[in-house]
Amino acid sequence: MMVLGMDTSGCAGVFGVTDGARVLADCSFEARRDALQRVVADIDFTLRRAGQTLDDIDGFGVGLGPGSWTGIRVGVTVAKMLALVTGKPVAGVGTLEVLAAGAADRGSNICAVVDAGTRDMVYAACYDIRGGGLCRSGDYYVGGVEGLAARLGGTVTLAAENADRLFERLAPHLGGSGVQLKGVSVGLSGAVVARLAGERLERGEGDDALALTPLYLKESTAKVFRNKYLGRS
Amino acid sequence: MLVLGIETSCDETAAALLEGNQVLSSVIAAQLDLVQKYGGVVPEIAARRHTELIGYVVREALASAGRGFGDIEAVAVTSRQGLIGCLLVGVAAAKALSYALNIPLVGVHHIEGHIFAGQLSNPALPFPHVCLTVSGGHTMLLHVLECCRYEVMGTTLDDAAGEAFDKLAKFLGLGFPGGPVIDRLSLAGNPRAFRFPRPLLRAAGYDFSFSGLKTAVINTFREALARGETLPREDIAAGIQEAVVDVLVGKTLRAAAEKGVSAVSVTGGVSANRRLREVFRKEGQRRGLSVFFPAPSLCTDNAAMVAAAGYARLARGERSGLELDVLPNAPLGGAA
Repeated sequence: MMVLGMDTSGCAGVFGVTDGARVLADCSFEARRDALQRVVADIDFTLRRAGQTLDDIDGFGVGLGPGSWTGIRVGVTVAKMLALVTGKPVAGVGTLEVLAAGAADRGSNICAVVDAGTRDMVYAACYDIRGGGLCRSGDYYVGGVEGLAARLGGTVTLAAENADRLFERLAPHLGGSGVQLKGVSVGLSGAVVARLAGERLERGEGDDALALTPLYLKESTAKVFRNKYLGRS
Repeated sequence: MLVLGIETSCDETAAALLEGNQVLSSVIAAQLDLVQKYGGVVPEIAARRHTELIGYVVREALASAGRGFGDIEAVAVTSRQGLIGCLLVGVAAAKALSYALNIPLVGVHHIEGHIFAGQLSNPALPFPHVCLTVSGGHTMLLHVLECCRYEVMGTTLDDAAGEAFDKLAKFLGLGFPGGPVIDRLSLAGNPRAFRFPRPLLRAAGYDFSFSGLKTAVINTFREALARGETLPREDIAAGIQEAVVDVLVGKTLRAAAEKGVSAVSVTGGVSANRRLREVFRKEGQRRGLSVFFPAPSLCTDNAAMVAAAGYARLARGERSGLELDVLPNAPLGGAA
């Protein structure tokens, strides 16, 4: 199954084309001021790089986040419209799962982390490898690194875009917990998004394109304040 | 040519199909529930809602016109002026459609859309004319020389007229959006009970300012409160509305006289105001001016006007590339 994958949640927009396990293109476009304006042009570039056209694509994969709120909105909107127009299936893939997949050959208990952009906050989730696939082992985490450290146990492989820096931030909070932490720097990859989406689509687990929504993990500040001060949602 | 229009610049998720000058469908998903809950438009919340709704809205625009994706021949989208996070959703959707269908894409300025709402509803609207476009987001006076050629005569220096209505209605606890509430209450009020200022009405030039009016109303209300009086809401509403209408009509008629045009077009959400229409019609008649308003469905933000503006731009050979930029504060004018 030929799948076009994309993820625009991070500093770089990533796009890839896979056919089963075969990677036909895996492109990463560094963040520029106009990165989000270029998403569809970057898709065109990636398809050409893969030697394919949109007609050759059997399905779409898109990184749902967490990450840049504006970024995931643009990625999800583009994937949604491509799926609706072409009538081909789409599968949303968690961005943390994409990072974890990039470190899957380096450990069996993987904690994937992305920066939440404000106040030293991170988004994180832990994954086990079961039956050859990744399986999220708990809820998503949104908060400071201290709280994340408290949730870790045993031998953990840390998968993040800048694992060394994250390791330094986490280490002071791990004292005496017996956690064995190993950092693996992994970049987001459009090909990994495409592969994970392809596996899901092959199993008939695609998403409803119309209802496809980003994974923000956090409410907007206005809603948080409203709930806090008015005590209702 | 069958043009799909997409509009997401503020809090309405809208899509429409236009064939020539005929609106085949116009779907608008307003976010009134959210706007009322938060007392205004919260950009992040509005952008999230656009992402949830855009697919449904486009599909509904096609279904209600009995057309499919394959019938669309061009896509027009609001890419200039608005909330950046909101504009990005519509533009991303339009680019994906243009790419997947291999059809032309054209970016439209939101204000140009409102200008076309007047032309779409009134094919007899002659060029040149003066256009007052006024809503919760903008207040602008234009000399429309010919199709797609404008001279900006004046704009608001602070609040838009509709914004003043909204903020005052919120302050007075009347509800949201403020324009329709004030319009309704005014029916039972005396417009002469309170004489609020008419900012810049007699000043040279054609710029507007409504923040002073806002302050005057707030001060009047607070002073009355300090005296232990309660002011009749209907009279206050009528006083506010009369002040805004006086300024809008007065400046527009002066602009029309200076440019020597025979027609005036009034567009945007505030152009649905009952009193504004009444005074414009009366004063226009007195001066031998034809005054045109859009159909009510084309006053507030909609995608039919975007499709109409896009169609005119496409007819002039204009096209936008897949790199089409989103410009939240772009001035009116220039190519797509």
